[in-house]
Amino acid sequence: MKKKLALYTGCLMSTEQYGYELSVRESLPLLDVQLVDIAGFSCCGEPLKSVNQLLTLYLSARNLAIAEKHNLDVFAPCAMCHLALSECKQVLQNNPDMKTRINEMLAAEELTFEGNGEIVHTVDLLHDHIGIEEIAKHVKKPLKGLKFATHYGCHLIRPSEIGRPDDSEHPVKIEAIISVLGAETAKYPEKLDCCGGILQINLDESALTKSGQKLKAVQNQGFDGLVDVCPWCHKMFDARQVKAGETVAAKLNVPVFYLTQLLGLAFGVKKEKLGLDFNISPVDKLEIG
Amino acid sequence: MSITDLTSMGEPQVELKKEINDRLSKLQDEVSDYCYQCAKCTSGCEAHKLLELEPHKIVALLKQGLIDEMVNSDIIWTCMSCFKCRERCPQKIAPVEILFALKNLAVAGGKQVPGKYTSVLQSVLSIGLIQDAQSVTTKDMKTKTRDDLGLPPLSKPDDPAKFQAGLMKIAVEKV
Ligand code: SF4
Ligand code: SF4
Repeated sequence: MKKKLALYTGCLMSTEQYGYELSVRESLPLLDVQLVDIAGFSCCGEPLKSVNQLLTLYLSARNLAIAEKHNLDVFAPCAMCHLALSECKQVLQNNPDMKTRINEMLAAEELTFEGNGEIVHTVDLLHDHIGIEEIAKHVKKPLKGLKFATHYGCHLIRPSEIGRPDDSEHPVKIEAIISVLGAETAKYPEKLDCCGGILQINLDESALTKSGQKLKAVQNQGFDGLVDVCPWCHKMFDARQVKAGETVAAKLNVPVFYLTQLLGLAFGVKKEKLGLDFNISPVDKLEIG
Repeated sequence: MSITDLTSMGEPQVELKKEINDRLSKLQDEVSDYCYQCAKCTSGCEAHKLLELEPHKIVALLKQGLIDEMVNSDIIWTCMSCFKCRERCPQKIAPVEILFALKNLAVAGGKQVPGKYTSVLQSVLSIGLIQDAQSVTTKDMKTKTRDDLGLPPLSKPDDPAKFQAGLMKIAVEKV
């Protein structure tokens, strides 16, 4: 059954994390997902929650309203966007006064938020909507002999009250997906540690330290690579890995992949099409694809 | 009409301040009734070891009504919004939400926002995104744009004036 979704591209993926966008656009259609591009989206507002929460709410409602106008559910590949949009939907559904107020503001752009649409992220889309069995049918080049550490991202699994794609303390869906692609995973004590990404805005050294500490742990435990599902986390672990290593006095050498890049590789898609050229971390070390 | 109301942090925003204060006093009531200072929030806090943030102390200070002290402190800007404190509090208190409210209040009160928050905000207010599309360099030093990669045009507000008109209502919104 074909699933048709509005691709909510957000800010970070669509302005620099092209490896995620390319691999999303390459691999998901192979699973019968039709991604629809819509013009006019804006930031989800999550990065500005510390500045003004009403602004966050407004921006998220605006994006959901645009998708509703096209009668489409929303696919947000970024964990931050997915949280902002999901929280907005929940807050406005439970607070009719706020909904009215936001809708009065949205009238400036002839938009209305109803709150009927669904919001999915890469992880629940793959695991819950498409399903492991279906994914298995498409695996052509199993990722044999590799062991990955997983990074879910704080925004993806918390706060559970809002409804998140996986469990807040024991998330397992990425592991299940990686396993059907033929690779291994293992638990590690730092699995739920934060990448520090949001601190890039005001305390960059600390952000780098957080990422550096996690990468160092992954490296020391003998994983072949790290897999993530959020452009903020990925930017920290991949593009900024060398700098992160410097802050924790470690020479880091950890290949970092988006889950959708591994998916594409296992489906037999060419490396170039999955944006692997943009991974700054040493992904070529693994000789896959 | 300009977007300075939201960007010029020098001008205190009276209405907005009032609204955030209301939010905080609601949180204060909750905290006073339920927090028993078990410090579970702090034990898992991602900013605790590295930056000495102690969410249970934030909660205690709120209980005492020492809001100005916190608003004027840099410590509130060390939270990395991992939401572990909110997730794990046995009393369903959310220190992270208190911190968001305190930071919002600092901004509405005209305090200088730290780091790159001003430029991020300015970018969102003018083009709708935290930054415009970048050209990105591959490992073998080739520079590529979205267009080069065959990606569709960047989705962003197509009429910035209209987009800003909506945002302006947040700045001038009367409660
Ligand atoms: S975990 Fe909850 S009850 Fe315990 S100190 Fe923190 S806020 Fe208070
Ligand atoms: S959300 Fe902030 S205060 Fe709460 S545990 Fe995470 S870093 Fe600490």
